[in-house]
Amino acid sequence: MTPTVLLLAIAVPAAAGLLALLLPSRRTPWATSALAVLACAFELGLAIYIFPSDFAFAWPWIGFGIEFAFKLSRFSAFILLAIASFGFLVSMYLVVSMAKAPSSRRFHAWVLFTVALSAGAVLADNLVLFLVFWEGLLLTLFAMIVAGKTKPFATAIKAFVIVGLTDLALMLGVMLTGHLAGTLSMSAIRLPLDGLGAVAFLLLMIGAMGKSGAMPFHSWIPDAAIDAPTPFMALLPGSLEKLLGIYFLARVSLDFFVLTPESWVSPVLMSIGAATILLAVMMALVQKDYKRLLAYHAISQVGYMILGIGTALPVGIVGGLFHMVNNAIYKSSLFLTGGAVEKETGTTDLHQLGGLGRSMPVTMICFLVAAASISGVPPFNGFFSKELIYDGALERGWIFYAVALVGSFFTAASFLKLGHAAFFGKPSNAKRKVKEAPWPMLVPMILLAGLCVLFGVANSLPLERLIQPAVGAVMKHGHETFAGFPTNMMLVGLTIGVLALAVLNHAFGVRRSGKGIGAVDHIHHAPGLSSAYAFQATGALDPYRMLNWMAKAAARTLYGIDRAIDWIYSTLASKTALVTSSVLRRVHNGNVNRYVWWALAGAVAVLLAVLAMVGGGR
Amino acid sequence: MSHLLLLVPFLAVVVLNLLPKRARGAALWVSFGVLGLEAAAAFVERFSSIDSSAFTWLESVFGFRLAADHLSGLAMLCAGIVGMVALLVARRTLKDAGEKFFFANLVLVALVGINGIAMVRDLFSLYVFVEVTAIATFILITASRSGAASRGEQVFEGAWKYIILSVVASVLMLTSIGFFLLSAGDITFDAVKTALGAPGSLTWVAMALFLCGLFVKGGLVPFHGWLADAYTAAPAPVSVFMAGIVTKASGIFALLRIVSSTMGSALPGREILLVVGALTIVVGAFLALGQSNMKRMLAYSSVSQMGYIVLALGGDLNLGILAAGLHFFNHAISKSQLFANAAAIEEQLGTLNMDEMGGIGARMPVTAGTTAVATLSIAGLPPLAGFWSKLLIVLALWNAKEYGFAAVAILASLVTLAYFLSLQRRVFFGKTHPKWAHVKEAAPGLLVPVVALALITIALGVGFPFALRVLLGGGA
Repeated sequence: MTPTVLLLAIAVPAAAGLLALLLPSRRTPWATSALAVLACAFELGLAIYIFPSDFAFAWPWIGFGIEFAFKLSRFSAFILLAIASFGFLVSMYLVVSMAKAPSSRRFHAWVLFTVALSAGAVLADNLVLFLVFWEGLLLTLFAMIVAGKTKPFATAIKAFVIVGLTDLALMLGVMLTGHLAGTLSMSAIRLPLDGLGAVAFLLLMIGAMGKSGAMPFHSWIPDAAIDAPTPFMALLPGSLEKLLGIYFLARVSLDFFVLTPESWVSPVLMSIGAATILLAVMMALVQKDYKRLLAYHAISQVGYMILGIGTALPVGIVGGLFHMVNNAIYKSSLFLTGGAVEKETGTTDLHQLGGLGRSMPVTMICFLVAAASISGVPPFNGFFSKELIYDGALERGWIFYAVALVGSFFTAASFLKLGHAAFFGKPSNAKRKVKEAPWPMLVPMILLAGLCVLFGVANSLPLERLIQPAVGAVMKHGHETFAGFPTNMMLVGLTIGVLALAVLNHAFGVRRSGKGIGAVDHIHHAPGLSSAYAFQATGALDPYRMLNWMAKAAARTLYGIDRAIDWIYSTLASKTALVTSSVLRRVHNGNVNRYVWWALAGAVAVLLAVLAMVGGGR
Repeated sequence: MSHLLLLVPFLAVVVLNLLPKRARGAALWVSFGVLGLEAAAAFVERFSSIDSSAFTWLESVFGFRLAADHLSGLAMLCAGIVGMVALLVARRTLKDAGEKFFFANLVLVALVGINGIAMVRDLFSLYVFVEVTAIATFILITASRSGAASRGEQVFEGAWKYIILSVVASVLMLTSIGFFLLSAGDITFDAVKTALGAPGSLTWVAMALFLCGLFVKGGLVPFHGWLADAYTAAPAPVSVFMAGIVTKASGIFALLRIVSSTMGSALPGREILLVVGALTIVVGAFLALGQSNMKRMLAYSSVSQMGYIVLALGGDLNLGILAAGLHFFNHAISKSQLFANAAAIEEQLGTLNMDEMGGIGARMPVTAGTTAVATLSIAGLPPLAGFWSKLLIVLALWNAKEYGFAAVAILASLVTLAYFLSLQRRVFFGKTHPKWAHVKEAAPGLLVPVVALALITIALGVGFPFALRVLLGGGA
């Protein structure tokens, strides 16, 4: 096996994507789907096949240290495997979910391109090459949101601007990093975290967090949940973007720079993580739409990963990466259940849903498993990764742990509400006969739900086979392994206590409001919080909105400056010239006496000047 | 053979006046032929340097020495080209046969003066030939009756101002010559050069007076009062001739000669040239900006451009003389062309008031196009000839570390561009006024010279490195 086999991981889905665009889809819609599924299956097979290998190759490319270099490390092999898996599952799901959409063929192509570009970004071993793939994802992101059925352009542009800006920071960071390190080869960069190095780190980190949707780069995700196709949510914000963003964040903080607990960067990262957890989950709590609620959780969960990596402790980093995998699994599973509900009922508005458990039992079970995972219920996978993160956070400061724990409480509360409102209670929309989703949609859900259980019960499988080898450097001075049941029983007790509290809270809320959807109304309308929510609802806190406002203000200011400069040129300069001209013209009144006097005065002046110069010189 | 350059025009005048009245119609062409010969001779002359011994007999008769060099050749080439253009314009615009005859004669007389200025080697002869040129020109301005009714008193007024200020110049120059005789004992260029190097301020006083005289002749600010009125009052061919060569030869070329042969880059003279040059550039440009009479705008533009040449003389000596010579040539070509264009417009429209014009370009495309070439060249836009000479002027100043004056030269180009663009816009662009809906392009006799001159401007600009060698024989 030559190292160039890595190129297949990029070329095959890309070629399939091109082919999908060329296929005459109107007559054979199944061909595009088959092509996508086959290409993704190939990708998955390849990822498994090359998983144990260690490849690297570099071809000369642009010069200036920019090479066409790829490298398969333990870490990238693991992320590639995850990308291929999610690509495969989503493409399978697409067979049914988007079969009738007019943009179906293009959407398939975008999915394939996304998989190819993600694979490229993960395998690239040169920062500029990495950047090329990473930026390409911005285009597919835009294209996939536009494929939605409602009015997606505003949202697509919003996503494009936010992610584009963070990518800009990333570009600057790449330049600065390359300059400081003297190399663009990703496996060779080692920089200290001080001075300009810290600036480079921050820029790269902004790029990574923008991709993974951490606050304050998150605000397009809830909008996209409404406007964009559900498979997009499962694929990009749900899984691939988290994988890529956290992959890069881990590379930056573990490889390029050596993140230590003593470094100032560590508290910064942990604070961003904690803030993201709490603020996003508070927003998720009060959502009344299936997909929008999930979208806020997609943001909130990133907070746990950043918090975990930010601890700079082995237990936290491993926990963060484990959480990244787990989150990708349960979050895409959740989005897929949302898509199934949307397909069968025609809505994701929780007011119009209810009692779906009877007609969609498989979907409900998948939902329950995934929801239990995300809430951190043992023995599902989310429980284990969260416990690792808690462990690290508590060691770095009780406040971070407390915030994470509060986040867990709200996560559990919001999923209790979501599950109750959607799958229990009595059907609110009785007219429509609701069926179970078709099997191509169910299979990915079931597989993902199964993984939730598997990665929980047998957590040594992902931890020891995937994650710990990937961060081998970190493990050296830490534990042997983090697999198995958490050792700190106090933390486990607290977690279970919080979950119990969430259940009690739910029961209280349901009794108070009389229905599942109102389970958290007492929190929503609590004194103080209700006005905060109302203020948030105006959109004034949306960073994108602020950015827009600032851009408009800047544009107005610049326009003013521009007008002022223009005034200097086109009004002041020409006025001055014309006034000068007219004064001079008035002085030239045609009187010959005056002209002779000028000439004589000029002659006298010249004489005096010459005398002064000659006299002074001698 | 250079002495022929003085004798041939002089003899031609004599011969023309001996002709019977019937044959006088040929006078324009005779004159044209003489000027053509002159231009051709000057063009050939650049290859050889002439020793002055050939003129000893002339020296014994008239008491002065002549010597021609590359600068002389340049001036005579300009005189030939501009004179031919002026004659062609005269042929179309002067109506009376007697006037044409008169014009042909006076051009030849002026040519004697100009050729003398180009070749003399002492101050007094320089003065004499300047006066010869001035008197011929003075008569040229006043003597024409063509269109005199429309210009009314202006004609006399313009000529009057010219002669009054010429007298001021004469007084200054004669006084200066007297002082030179006192301080240096001799007035040949070599003697003056030696005297300027020696201590004593009288020589420099004399030089300052002479310079002032030439400033009047060249129309430099603040000695410029006569120029605009004289140019505007003069009939079209006289304007072409005056703007193209008379003012330049008797004022600017004489300065060029003084600097290259006597003064060099000695400090007091240099400072005066810089200050007067910069003042002239700026005042002339702003005066041009506000004019609505086309010829008057061109006149003030001439003032401003003369400032450039004088400014160049104040810069690095060798490069400055080269740049001044080139700008001299470029400006002679372009400005005589612009006055010929103005003549064409006056001929077709009957007015020179730019406020009444507009959209003429659609009716007179050749005039509009050639005007654009000349104005852009003078404003210094590459790749036209004017760009190169202006560039050399700026370089000459830069090399002499006169950065402030270099900046003035560059910034004033903007004003130059502004007034020329305003000329283009007001005269040629926009919608054609209904009044001019039936205006036709000028007659071919007027178009041939302007097209030829525009082509020279373009060719010189595009083929500049080659042209530089041909014109100045490898450097001044």
